[in-house]
Amino acid sequence: MARKLDSFFEPRSVAVIGATSVRHKSGNDILLNIMANNYSGELYLVNPKGGDIMGKKVYSSIGDLPEGIDMAVIILPAKLNSQAIRECAARGINAIVLAAGGFSEVDEEGQLLQAELEKAVKETGVRVIGPNTSGMTSTPHNFTSSFFPLGWIPRGNISYIAQTGNFATHTMRYITTGENFGVARVVGIGNKVDVDESDVLEYYASDPETKAIFVYLESFKSPKRFLEIARETTRRKPIILLKGGSTDGGSHAAGAHTAALASDDRIIDGALKQAGITRIYKYSLLILAAKALSAMPLPRGNRVSFLAPSGAMLVAMTDMCQKYWNLEVPALEESSRRRLQEISPPYIRMRNPVDIWASAMVNGIEFGYREGMEAVLKDPHIDAVVPIMMITDETGVPDLQFVVDLARKYPEKPIYVTFSAEKKHMDAAKAFLEPRGVPTFPMIEEPLEVLSVLAQCRKYMDRP
Amino acid sequence: MTETDGNSALGQGSKTLSEFESARLLAGFGIPTAKGILAQNLEEVKKAAESIGYPVVLKACSPEVSHKTESGLVAVDLRNEADLELAFQKISGSSAAKGGGFLVQEMIKGGRELVMGMIRDPQFGPCVMFGLGGIFTEILGDVTFRPAPLSEADAAEMMREIKGNKILDAVRGMPAVDADSLIQCLMAVGRIGMEREEIEAIDVNPLIIQGSKPVAVDALVILK
Repeated sequence: MARKLDSFFEPRSVAVIGATSVRHKSGNDILLNIMANNYSGELYLVNPKGGDIMGKKVYSSIGDLPEGIDMAVIILPAKLNSQAIRECAARGINAIVLAAGGFSEVDEEGQLLQAELEKAVKETGVRVIGPNTSGMTSTPHNFTSSFFPLGWIPRGNISYIAQTGNFATHTMRYITTGENFGVARVVGIGNKVDVDESDVLEYYASDPETKAIFVYLESFKSPKRFLEIARETTRRKPIILLKGGSTDGGSHAAGAHTAALASDDRIIDGALKQAGITRIYKYSLLILAAKALSAMPLPRGNRVSFLAPSGAMLVAMTDMCQKYWNLEVPALEESSRRRLQEISPPYIRMRNPVDIWASAMVNGIEFGYREGMEAVLKDPHIDAVVPIMMITDETGVPDLQFVVDLARKYPEKPIYVTFSAEKKHMDAAKAFLEPRGVPTFPMIEEPLEVLSVLAQCRKYMDRP
Repeated sequence: MTETDGNSALGQGSKTLSEFESARLLAGFGIPTAKGILAQNLEEVKKAAESIGYPVVLKACSPEVSHKTESGLVAVDLRNEADLELAFQKISGSSAAKGGGFLVQEMIKGGRELVMGMIRDPQFGPCVMFGLGGIFTEILGDVTFRPAPLSEADAAEMMREIKGNKILDAVRGMPAVDADSLIQCLMAVGRIGMEREEIEAIDVNPLIIQGSKPVAVDALVILK
């Protein structure tokens, strides 16, 4: 069942209908993207003008293409799409991405065009992603249909389903330029004339390349199927979802208390919980939690230890952990506590969360953080560790290899690094740590908020 | 309450079931309901009260009347025949009573009122609601939903999920709510949603905790 989308994610050959040599047009940017990602399958270009583009032959019509091409990306004006689908189907192409907008998302004329598309899909039996989408990316196969200038997209183990074009476009551009993690698959499902969120989820559920699934949805096309697949999948892979917008309320029977209280949001909340889907409300968590999961295992629970160079940070973060994030900041084993006390001047009472500054000042930043982190990483009551590192020229710039070493020594416990003080050292630390598998976060709330999300995923995974 | 299948009583052209019919439907799915007997006149009302045992509740019973308390069509905690007769005169004399007879009900006592219900959602199908009952349903809106059918774990999660979940613990000398009984009630409401297509929505409010056991005291069943 799920393998039906193979042609999209593992195409051996791709036709770009509407390819062009004109720079900065979608039909050209897609070619640059395909080349930047070293796609190794056969590429066929179609444009009525014929000729060649970048030294590649251009077919002047879909009808001229050879038989047996796996997939087509159609970048044509909206009104030409249903005819193009039929022509592709006639050449035996069964998987099609439709890039054009201008369908039901705009006006009545667009709705009519979309109805025509639906008819063409039904009559030909092809699978279609879109329209109104930048399509999909599949890094294990070095392929993207995105027409937004992206360059090379690093391979990773996170997959996205997005009811928005921006994941395969500018959000991906941020991830590829601003972060150090990669993706496995990305699909912008667009107007969902055929392939919908459930089809893609089903593919990801059995996809060995996908370790965690992130979803942005504004509506469900097949809600029950989506939940059914999710319910089983979330026992093996986290699904993290941001639901945007709300659909029309008031469709429930009037007169009953139950109906009056049955807001979409409450029902969606219950449905997602039942399926073990972790709901988030912040867009940035679609990126931050993905970064954390890319590098580190899912935490085994919600018990955190953090080390801070400031009493205020210890107090404020502890408050937030309890009040908003459902994270425990538990007491440590006596042996861990004793070790912390050993590395600190006696006037600081060491416990969890860890006031590390006096130790770091007396013994050096590296010693203080390294020994402090190791003490809590060893502690059986702790599931994850967040050092808040204060780095300035004056107080010393440590060699952060010790953090990488600790992460390798305690591979079952996530370490998320965050910072205080000087921006240039944060940037340098990020550039050093992230490629070595330790995620960093500029703001001190972020790693804890991410832990909160992932602890919930763990809870769902461990359901009886 | 007789344990007959609610089928024969269902419908009869009205958009809601009477309280008596509603209770019978719930009982048919295994939900504990307050004992109740339908009566047409004072004689029958007295006989019913005798058989149930005082104190009792007397209610006008008609599918058209859904907000009975507000309309003065409910008298509670009637401790003897004199109380009952007085209440009967008042209710039968009210213009709001529409001739569906009278329901004599066992007086369920308990300090804790919960609510459960079912609606059909256009996306997710039948969904079960659970939360704080009585007047707090409207005031606090402390409720949670799950699509049916419910697993035991779903029902147990719903109970933990409401903000006022401490109401289910041992509080103020009252025993903890029998979680299994409550789970069975919630699952049963989900089953009604799954099996009875003709039912659009259900309100059970209040679901009173008597001792440690939930008992459906007032139910409204809305038909499609």
